[in-house]
Amino acid sequence: MRPTGDRWIVLWVMTRVAAIAMAVALLIAHRVTAFDAALGWFVVTYGGLSILAVMRAPRLVRRPGAWLLDCVVGLVLIWISGDWRSPFYLFALTALAPPVAMLPYRQAVASGAAFTLAFIGVALLTGLDPWTLKSTVSLETLATHLALPGVVTFGLAYAADVMRRLEAEQERAQELAVEAERRRIAWELHDSAKQRLHAAHLVLSSLEPSDVLELALEQLRGATADMETSIAELRSPLEGRPLSAALRDRAAELAALEGGVSVAVEGEAPRLPTVAASHAYRILAEAMTNAVRHAGAREVRVTLATAADGGLHAIVADDGRGLPSHIRPGANGIRTMRSRAFAIGGRLTIGSGSDPGTRVRLDVPSPTREGVPA
Amino acid sequence: MIRVALIDDHPALVAGLTAVLRAEPGILPVGTASDPAEVEHLLYRTQPDLVLLDYHLPRSDGLRICRRIKSHVPAPKVLIYSAYADAWLGFAARAAGADGVASKAAPARELYELIRRVARGESVLPPVSAEHFHEAAGRLDEEDLPLLGLLIDGTSPHDIAEALRIDRASLTGRIDRVLGRLRVDVAAPTG
Repeated sequence: MRPTGDRWIVLWVMTRVAAIAMAVALLIAHRVTAFDAALGWFVVTYGGLSILAVMRAPRLVRRPGAWLLDCVVGLVLIWISGDWRSPFYLFALTALAPPVAMLPYRQAVASGAAFTLAFIGVALLTGLDPWTLKSTVSLETLATHLALPGVVTFGLAYAADVMRRLEAEQERAQELAVEAERRRIAWELHDSAKQRLHAAHLVLSSLEPSDVLELALEQLRGATADMETSIAELRSPLEGRPLSAALRDRAAELAALEGGVSVAVEGEAPRLPTVAASHAYRILAEAMTNAVRHAGAREVRVTLATAADGGLHAIVADDGRGLPSHIRPGANGIRTMRSRAFAIGGRLTIGSGSDPGTRVRLDVPSPTREGVPA
Repeated sequence: MIRVALIDDHPALVAGLTAVLRAEPGILPVGTASDPAEVEHLLYRTQPDLVLLDYHLPRSDGLRICRRIKSHVPAPKVLIYSAYADAWLGFAARAAGADGVASKAAPARELYELIRRVARGESVLPPVSAEHFHEAAGRLDEEDLPLLGLLIDGTSPHDIAEALRIDRASLTGRIDRVLGRLRVDVAAPTG
């Protein structure tokens, strides 16, 4: 599927070409001003250049400066033509299409309204006198001219909004599908391949010992260990959610489980490779759990931010008892947190925060800078 | 002769285990079950001295099945067989009434040795440490902690019911809940 940006550009180019053709046809059919030829050449040149510019650099379609310039040129053309029922009206209207298609719904509607107001201004400058509109035809023409920007705005903004939602939905569905597939592969490795390795190892180990046999057993043990690593990597705790959303869910779960504890997650985490995000999640979730379960904290605050290099900068601070004076020898939790941080090239600092309390700080570099495999 | 029943849902492992056990003098594999629903029938049919029980079974888990096997009279010895045989699994297995834990990664000779020791009546579970209780306390409701203590101590269900003053039916439910919280999770597909 082509990105929707391209479709908007194609649509815009087509309407603009049609508007230019109509303007030129009207200029030829009716004498509008004393300098019709110059106006005609200008609209063809400017319109053609604007189309070329957008085709060469499609991101121009997203530049508010370009939108404004284009709208102003369109309205000025109407003003120069000397009549609000101008051959350039449709041309000016095409300038409204990019902003209303790109902007969020509310802003798009605001832009449409601003365009209509600007057009009323131009119309008043070019001989529109609302009190002397004589015929029904004139009134109807005015109504059409005022309503068209609204119709264009609502139509395009609605369509664009629906398409944006659809794209987000598709992206999410894709992430979920990838996640499900990873889990399925992990399960298959665990359920089938690893069991076969165990069986082979067991059968071989029952034979008369020899150097060659020991070599084979060694290889089998290595393969099992490799598979173990792959399974751990394939299993992501995020289940397709962004890191910050997963942490928020965990915080709510923890607060509900413990009762009387406030666990807040603030800020957003940058996008990290799945493996890095999984480890970061487990480290931060463990820090949250420790604060609530072992340090007796009443308030835990997790702050997520994007570091200067685009990596993750996260802090878990609590008001609990702080770290015990010596870490229990069996305290696997902190050791695992450190080894996870090490595995993704991150830095973990665990220290005393505001007295009393603990402050856990995790920095994970951006994958592009540090070469962490994505 | 030690009569061993196997409960495992992996055909490759069952085949390997059966061959390996049959090759060892003094140990006789008497039957296998791959589904938790077949366990009762297997025990009734084969009357084993020892059950080698896979920890990760579909639709159930080794700990609860172990508890069920142990409620038989006379109860066979139970050796829990897992790829993740660490000290925590030893603790959970003790709570479930198992006699030992064997690693799927262990060579055949170690497995024979474990089977012999368990069949002789030795307990081959790792010692209980305060650390394990600490971890368990984090997973269980406070009201279940005394029950866990009694289970670890090896108290019979009859005595537990008497000590805690609850009837046997609700005791079974509570034990299942405790064992469910103690279990070790591995990669499970969600859908």
